[in-house]
Amino acid sequence: MTRSHATPPADTIPSADAGSPAPLPDRDLRREFADREDLIAYVAALFPAAAARDRHVAPTRGGRAAAEATLAAVDPAAYALTRNTVTGRVTRLGPYLRYGVLSLAEVRDHAINAVRRRGDTSKLVQELAWRDYFARVYARIGDGIWDDREPLKTGHDARSYAAELPDDVRAGTTGLPCMDAFVRDLRETGYLHNHARLWLAAYLVHWRRVRWQAGAAWFLEHLLCGDPASNNLSWQWVASTFGHKPYVFNRENLEQYTEGAYCRTCPLYGRCDFEGTYDELSRRLFRLEPADATRRGREAPERRDRGRRDDRRPR
Amino acid sequence: MPSADRSPSQPAHDAVVWVHGDCLSPRGPALRWAPGAPAIWVWDDALVEEWRLSLKRLVFIYESLVELPVTIRRGDVAAEVAAFAAEHGATRVLTAGSPSPRFRSIVEEVERAVPVEVLPVEPFLAYGGHLDLSRFAKYWRVAQRHAYGQASLFD
Repeated sequence: MTRSHATPPADTIPSADAGSPAPLPDRDLRREFADREDLIAYVAALFPAAAARDRHVAPTRGGRAAAEATLAAVDPAAYALTRNTVTGRVTRLGPYLRYGVLSLAEVRDHAINAVRRRGDTSKLVQELAWRDYFARVYARIGDGIWDDREPLKTGHDARSYAAELPDDVRAGTTGLPCMDAFVRDLRETGYLHNHARLWLAAYLVHWRRVRWQAGAAWFLEHLLCGDPASNNLSWQWVASTFGHKPYVFNRENLEQYTEGAYCRTCPLYGRCDFEGTYDELSRRLFRLEPADATRRGREAPERRDRGRRDDRRPR
Repeated sequence: MPSADRSPSQPAHDAVVWVHGDCLSPRGPALRWAPGAPAIWVWDDALVEEWRLSLKRLVFIYESLVELPVTIRRGDVAAEVAAFAAEHGATRVLTAGSPSPRFRSIVEEVERAVPVEVLPVEPFLAYGGHLDLSRFAKYWRVAQRHAYGQASLFD
């Protein structure tokens, strides 16, 4: 396909005003609202079951205008330097990309135009490429994204993982301040920093021994940017069914990339479930054959900060 | 389903546009090719319940919809899209491409009533050749040469 062939003249781009529908038959839903509260009340009435489950509404606004404002604020160079920290300059474009309010190509082109040195876009372009990659896998395997792509590399029988999300995780009452805060953010804002997603996913799959599918479905309920391809295949990467090793983290890693936000005041500090080196955690969490253990041991120095692997993760 | 790799077969005066959740942009290919054509969004009630979509996700979508020139309905998506085409005397439905298997099955169902033309969203990669999708690293080894659009880092 060629871009010039598929792109009409810019002056043909419609606006909401240009195509305003004529007087509406009864079956047409409302398009005009006094304000955001009016719209929210209307949507809650349209979907009473969803509203009964959870009435939180995200501060993030939908629509092209909000998307363009968010895009204008993207700083590709700052993103490359700070994105792994939860307070870093992440783009917050996920929801707009998920619903195609913005295309990957639009974001890429904007980023290239926004920098002086083109190399400053390389991290952002690579993260956009993760989405393109996942979409291509989805196009190929369809609903197969819900099945294990490969066997687990944890040494555990797949049947030993619980099928359902534990109640205390869903409610955010595990007693682990970091995890409970992530759950609260997920439910109340529909957003979690990518690193927090990985920590919460790893906690659920490896520490709680729950099937990744339960966590993936739960994220899709809440994440504004919840797209089945990126979401499920990232969960599979954490679980080790779409990658060579399971993803784990330790307290040190979480403390570093949250700038101590949870650990500093944590009553479990020094004795929480995430204490230990990566080797110690691997021995505690996984049941690996001696050959695997040896291989992993040799790799230990470069695996010391498994957070480094996050450099390869989409957000 | 017709090929997704082309523009519409003819001017859009006899078409309606189906807007779906993988392309809520006024710059999406279907809305751009058919400015002023009647357009429809259908809330997929079965999907909303099956996936337990939260209110915050539904509000985000609704806010995106009201910025688009679309009629908003709910129910069985394929039946509603086909009925909308019939209401407007349309002989085809234009829509943007999507990797979702649910999208494909809806298109097949609509096509029992009226032809559907699936238009490609602007591709991220300026490349149509083979890509090894077994691992991201293998994909990226090839894709990175084509990921910078007109302004390749590697040219």
